[in-house]
Amino acid sequence: MKIEGEYTFDGPREDVWEMVRDPEVLVTCLPGTQSLKLVGKNEYEGEMAVRIGPIGGVFSGRLLVSDEVPPESCTLTAEGKGKPGFVNGTGKVQLVQQGENKTLMTYAGEVQIGGRLAGVGQRMIDTVSKSMIRQGLGVLDDAIKARVMAKADSKAVPYTPPSETEFAAAVAKDVAGGLLSARLVVWIAVAAIVVFLAVLVWLGVR
Amino acid sequence: MAKHSLFDLAVTVNGTRYERAVEPRTLLSDFLRHDLGLTGTHVGCEHGVCGACTVLLDGRPARSCLLFAVQVHGHEVATVEGLGTIENLHPIQEAFREAHGLQCGFCTPGILMTVVPFLEQNPDPSEREIREAISGNLCRCTGYQHVVDAVKLAAGKMRT
Amino acid sequence: MTKQIIGKRIRRNEDPRLLTGQALFVDDVEIPGMLHAAFVRSDYAHARLLGIDVSAARKRPGVVAVFTAEDMGNDWQPGPPLVSPPPTAKDVVFHSRRQVPLVKDKVRHAGEAIAVVIAESRYIAEDAVEDVLVQLEPLEAVIDLEKGLQAGSPLVHDDLESNLAAHLRQKKGDYEAARDRADLVIKRRIVIERGAAAAMENRGVVAHWDEKSKSLTVWDTTQAPIPIRNGLATRLGLSENQVRVIAPFIGGGFGPKMMMFYPEEMLIPWVSMKLSRPIKWIEDRRENFYATTQERGQIHDAEIALSGDGRVLGLMDVFLHDTGAYDPYGLTIPLNTQCHLMGPYDIRNFTSDVSVVFTNKTLVTPVRGAGRAQGIFIIERLLDIAARELGIDLVEIRKRNLIPPDAFPYEHTIIDQAFAPLVLDSGNYWPVMEKAREMVGYAQFVKDEQPRLRAEGRCVGIGITPFIESTGVGPYEGARVTIQADGKIFVATGYGTQGQGHFTTFAQIVAEQLGATVSDVHIVTGDTAEFHWGTGTFASRGVVVAGNAIHAASSMVRQKVLRLAGKILETPEEELELAEGLVRLADMPQKSISLAELAVLANPLRGAVQPGTEPGLEATAYFGPQFGATAFGTHAMILEIDPETMMIDIKRYITVEDCGTVINPLILEGQIHGGVSMGIGNAYYEKLHFGENGQLLNASFADYLVPSSTEMPRIEVGHVETNAPFNELGAKGVGEAGAIPVPALFAQAIENAFYDRGLEILEMPLSPNRLFELLNEEKSQ
Repeated sequence: MKIEGEYTFDGPREDVWEMVRDPEVLVTCLPGTQSLKLVGKNEYEGEMAVRIGPIGGVFSGRLLVSDEVPPESCTLTAEGKGKPGFVNGTGKVQLVQQGENKTLMTYAGEVQIGGRLAGVGQRMIDTVSKSMIRQGLGVLDDAIKARVMAKADSKAVPYTPPSETEFAAAVAKDVAGGLLSARLVVWIAVAAIVVFLAVLVWLGVR
Repeated sequence: MAKHSLFDLAVTVNGTRYERAVEPRTLLSDFLRHDLGLTGTHVGCEHGVCGACTVLLDGRPARSCLLFAVQVHGHEVATVEGLGTIENLHPIQEAFREAHGLQCGFCTPGILMTVVPFLEQNPDPSEREIREAISGNLCRCTGYQHVVDAVKLAAGKMRT
Repeated sequence: MTKQIIGKRIRRNEDPRLLTGQALFVDDVEIPGMLHAAFVRSDYAHARLLGIDVSAARKRPGVVAVFTAEDMGNDWQPGPPLVSPPPTAKDVVFHSRRQVPLVKDKVRHAGEAIAVVIAESRYIAEDAVEDVLVQLEPLEAVIDLEKGLQAGSPLVHDDLESNLAAHLRQKKGDYEAARDRADLVIKRRIVIERGAAAAMENRGVVAHWDEKSKSLTVWDTTQAPIPIRNGLATRLGLSENQVRVIAPFIGGGFGPKMMMFYPEEMLIPWVSMKLSRPIKWIEDRRENFYATTQERGQIHDAEIALSGDGRVLGLMDVFLHDTGAYDPYGLTIPLNTQCHLMGPYDIRNFTSDVSVVFTNKTLVTPVRGAGRAQGIFIIERLLDIAARELGIDLVEIRKRNLIPPDAFPYEHTIIDQAFAPLVLDSGNYWPVMEKAREMVGYAQFVKDEQPRLRAEGRCVGIGITPFIESTGVGPYEGARVTIQADGKIFVATGYGTQGQGHFTTFAQIVAEQLGATVSDVHIVTGDTAEFHWGTGTFASRGVVVAGNAIHAASSMVRQKVLRLAGKILETPEEELELAEGLVRLADMPQKSISLAELAVLANPLRGAVQPGTEPGLEATAYFGPQFGATAFGTHAMILEIDPETMMIDIKRYITVEDCGTVINPLILEGQIHGGVSMGIGNAYYEKLHFGENGQLLNASFADYLVPSSTEMPRIEVGHVETNAPFNELGAKGVGEAGAIPVPALFAQAIENAFYDRGLEILEMPLSPNRLFELLNEEKSQ
């Protein structure tokens, strides 16, 4: 499955790059992440709890960052495996400064999904992934804005990342356009958390 | 590794009260079949589509594969075993036999338990209504035609 | 002898048990001390197995054992080949690769079993499955049949040079010469995709090795208990009489339960012996989509040569057949396809070339139809296209090509799935087609109703499709009939039942011979302890093969009854009749003796018997047909399609079937209805979608759409009986018939509905989505 798109962050490119490569940031940004650590040069291992309606489990993931050209671009290769199945992907991320406080990120990659998730979750993944990514990047954008503000004011700005459920509900609402029932919507949306996992893991961690 | 503590379940099945200690995650279908030995209720898919596991919960059809046994604590469940016996078939069972409304019989208990409340609510159904009523019960053997005939015949028997 | 019981709509003997939930299915078996199995299965379709760590799983409380291929040691062996290569064909390529109990070196399809966990409950076993750490190195999967045969493709079996599993070319006459003198040659590529049997009951095995008596009892959802018993004995180093296999009530077979020596079937009995505990494994629905066999994937490049008046001069078909990761079933399905490519037509020149290809998908073994539907789809599509090009009516072009009734037995000279020359034993085809045409009101619909409805802007189409079905193939089946001391009749046969009503139809055959009541005839099937000679329930052969064996055994018992009764009643045998459980003088019915009394007298406790006397009123007989019995039928349908949603509404559905003597019309109709529902699924609702890397994308009933009661039309069944000349009952099989012509029928009717769009349907299955796509392709051209 191809995943590609772009997103504009409200922050300078160096900050975006820094945040995106900061595992501490991503752990708090990414709902369900239980651990994320550097295990080798540019190689990370992590665990993430995923709930997809009746399907749930812990994904063990590994991420490799390569072809790094900071703060411009890098290639991310990810492998995630767990009870719901597996997700493998490779993607290229590029950051382009646009004005003083805006950065355009473009991403393009391929994801392979297998196991229970592919067999039973197929319909959901395809439809929801785009929205998922957009929402997820929105969360990251909020974190970046907070950091930029903190830097400017030289003090910490309280930033609360959304909980797993809130996040899922937000995506679901976006996808469904508010038409589906809340329960079904959460069920559908949470399905795409795994896709989000793949994408965010691409974004890289330090 | 979570330890599953047991729950003291009390449920009435086919008029008999049962008290058993069960794990909270035990499905109602498994409880009926293996804890109580009522193997007439069958499991076809465990994701709520095929309807083979249909039982009556307080008189209304429910998928026992999508319920935990603990959810029926204090409730009444009816299964196919409560409908009739080999020597004394319920009129609906009689009708199915006469009309050849079953072949392998695996989906049949689920269909019977769907038909029982259906005929109570709609004692003189049209073919269209019957087909919609059983549209949540998948059958791979019969093509449904004789099942529909059986329900029509059953409706006639129940009215007299 | 006019038939009293055969041909009657008799209620089934087995129903009261099934209706009251008192029938034993495999998952109903409970044995004290029983443990439960769950499998660790591969998520990848193609991967190298680098390592397995079961230590955490073994430590989980409630887990009794975990086994991998390594733990099996020398007991690890692939399954046996079920069908050998055709001994009589020349230049056959055949590479036999069979499924394994647990993956040893590499995973070859998604869902392949890697390890088995044995625990106190299925719940704990499934928990422990997650504890097992499997290291797999994913490999590129072989999915596409054509790409799979290209040089440089990844190999499913590394010891072979390519993914070619088998190759066979069959010829009759000279197609090239026929093509040279043809007025019209039509070539098309036709693609058919996989479907699942999706019986309502998933598979299961309960194995009980009793160490004290050194005996193994296995309950198995199999259509072939006897070969399973024999094979298990060999694999486990036991003698056959130490093994008992019971196929109790089975919740639908449809073919995949005829596949033998599934990994679980090989493994669970072994585990039971290893642990000396009863072991139960029941498949869940998701496993069923991966681990139970499927069928139908083929790509055809077909060509037909005709004269200007629509006579088929020759047919050529080169096709690829998807066998999945292994090929235990050999060439059976492609041979069936080849034998049905000529349909019911008199075609003298024929070439068919099949290449069987390994892919990284679930194994392919017969599913209702077993390759026949694909052959029929090809010929019927080609005839429809030819008819359009030649301006000949669809029914007329078929009439011109049907094998005439005086040409039977018709020899096609190519070989069939039993490796015998394909002979169509008997038939009278045109009356069946004509009857279908009349029943559906073809002429009147095309002339009056259809134009009127079309003028209203409605999309209505009509289709009418004939087909043959090879049935009743060998090798043989057997039965033992015994009149018991209480006058009831006990019949044991190896031929299992999965809902076809054998407990009743077989009883009718016996009751007819012995003048008994059907409900007094007790049939036992599927238990190797009761009868241990036979092959299995497949290829629509129940009534023909097992039924004739039962008929023969009953006749033998009848002779014994008459002989003994004649002596006792001091009457010549010709003057006696059997009725109502008695033997009596036809002219003086008060002079009689009951079967019960005779049975007792036939088994004396004292005194001497004549040399050569067999005790009791019992006989065993076998039946092995020389060649199969070819059934024939025609389906017709009127449907309406919503041109925006592509949802269909079947207004009329007619089947006319000629399967020779009908034992029980009620049961026959049931078989046809069920077959048609599967056919409708194959035509418009069911398709297994595989992703690029071999992932099955619709592994649940939410996404794999089995027709429900609201998709199914009411089916009108018409009947013609042409006696099958080569078996005493005069019967032909019908179990698969309902499913065979339906895809071809749908293609024809849908094209007819969209007559002005120039639609040509060269694929199966369709779906509302796909039809929409096809129509928009047409539009943009």
